[in-house]
Amino acid sequence: MVLLRLFSFLLGHVSLVVRGEFLEKFVNMAASRGIYLWDITRLSNDRVRVRVRISDVRPLRHIARATKSCFKIVERRGMPFMINRMKKRKLLAIGGVFFLVTLYFLSSFVWFINVTGNDKLSDAEIKKIAAEAGLRPGVAKWDLDAKQVERNLREKIPSVAWAGVYVKGTRVTIEIAERKLMQEDPHKGEAAHIVAGKAGLIKEVLVLNGQAMVKEGDTVLPGSILISGEIKEEMIPEETNQPLPRGQEPPEPQTVSRFVQAKGIVRARVWYEGYGECRISETLEKLSGQQKTSVRIKFGTKEIIISGPGESPYRYYEEKQTVKSLPRWRNIVIPVELRTVHYLEKIKERVHYGREGAKRIAEQKAMEEVNAKLPEGAKVIERRLEQVNIGREEELVRMKAFVETVEDIGIMKPFKATEEDND
Amino acid sequence: MSLRDLQKKFKKQFSDFFEIPNDVMLDLPKIVLVGNLQVFIENHRGIVEYTTEKIRVKVGEGEVGITGDRLVLRNIKTDEICVEGQIKSLCFLAPGEVW
Repeated sequence: MVLLRLFSFLLGHVSLVVRGEFLEKFVNMAASRGIYLWDITRLSNDRVRVRVRISDVRPLRHIARATKSCFKIVERRGMPFMINRMKKRKLLAIGGVFFLVTLYFLSSFVWFINVTGNDKLSDAEIKKIAAEAGLRPGVAKWDLDAKQVERNLREKIPSVAWAGVYVKGTRVTIEIAERKLMQEDPHKGEAAHIVAGKAGLIKEVLVLNGQAMVKEGDTVLPGSILISGEIKEEMIPEETNQPLPRGQEPPEPQTVSRFVQAKGIVRARVWYEGYGECRISETLEKLSGQQKTSVRIKFGTKEIIISGPGESPYRYYEEKQTVKSLPRWRNIVIPVELRTVHYLEKIKERVHYGREGAKRIAEQKAMEEVNAKLPEGAKVIERRLEQVNIGREEELVRMKAFVETVEDIGIMKPFKATEEDND
Repeated sequence: MSLRDLQKKFKKQFSDFFEIPNDVMLDLPKIVLVGNLQVFIENHRGIVEYTTEKIRVKVGEGEVGITGDRLVLRNIKTDEICVEGQIKSLCFLAPGEVW
């Protein structure tokens, strides 16, 4: 049925209003002569509307004459009529065809490149490598060899385990699977000291390899050696039975250095300090949640406001704007850009905390500052808060926070072994 | 009993014996009703009367009458009619019977 309708659309069909006395006879005659009629509706006593193909209109004329009825064409539909109408509007037809051709032509280029799956590598880096292999915005799709780009990405960037290039319309998606590079110890096997990363009071020293240079209770400064990678061993001079010649001192005990990579844990007490202050009463700026958006087109230096206010409607406000401009081609810059400006309303509020409230806030700020400094794995032994008095009454509460922790302060520091290795 | 009736009886027995469908042998209409929305009548002999409430279609011998609302002849071919609309009733009329 659908096929039949499509067929009659292609051939073109017309609606006729038939007026006459013996309309049933008219329909019967048409049907018996093999004229296909459809959608026959009675309009009034002596009128019916029928649909019929264009090619059957002429034979219908004879039937109408035979049944003493007449008909009038009221509607024309289908391809032949559309083509006729198009002939009158040639430019429109040409425009339509031109549009389709342009659309087809432009859709055969790559316009957008997406990179997904990259973690450490940047998008720009991957796009640069892809561009070397011939994948850049504006390249024709028939010139693009996805396999070649994939291979290029894999070969040029060693951390890429797998690369996939998918073309979807005018958008190319580069999917990257990065190799998980094992974090290799850069100083593996090299001689190294363990030095203090920060100042502190040594609490315990556990040497796994190397020679301890500090002991419990020592105070160290950043950079001082805690466990040395240089192990000094005393050379035991060969025992000689001969008595030493007179006047000759016994030889100095010779030492031989052995260089190792020092290993060990040095825990020390470290102090941290943080500071926070808060006014007893202050003026806060807060976003009210109200906002107005205005859209403008900037053409050269002129700006045309399309919608929204030109100026901020609020007394206190924050302005945010996004600019969309056309992509530049070669060195032609199209001086048209779309600017969207958001005005966010702000409310100024005067808040009175009171001395206690201000103190609490200052404490909180000080603690936050300290906590930000604490490294992971540090064990906090003591926390202390102290109010800072500067001698005179003021509208400000200042607080200091002290935190004492015990933590491993050792940092590996390789050094060049100057003397020959003995092993 | 006329010759015509004899002929008809013979045809019926013949088609029953050879299992030939009755509508082919006896020149009967084949009517398909789709709910109360559509009627297909195959093997018709033309329309006798058509208004939006009432349609009469000539078949073999006699007529098929359809009543309903907003009846439309969806399509009409030499041996097939499709009627659409709100169908209320469908009845068989003897030739010459006034409905």
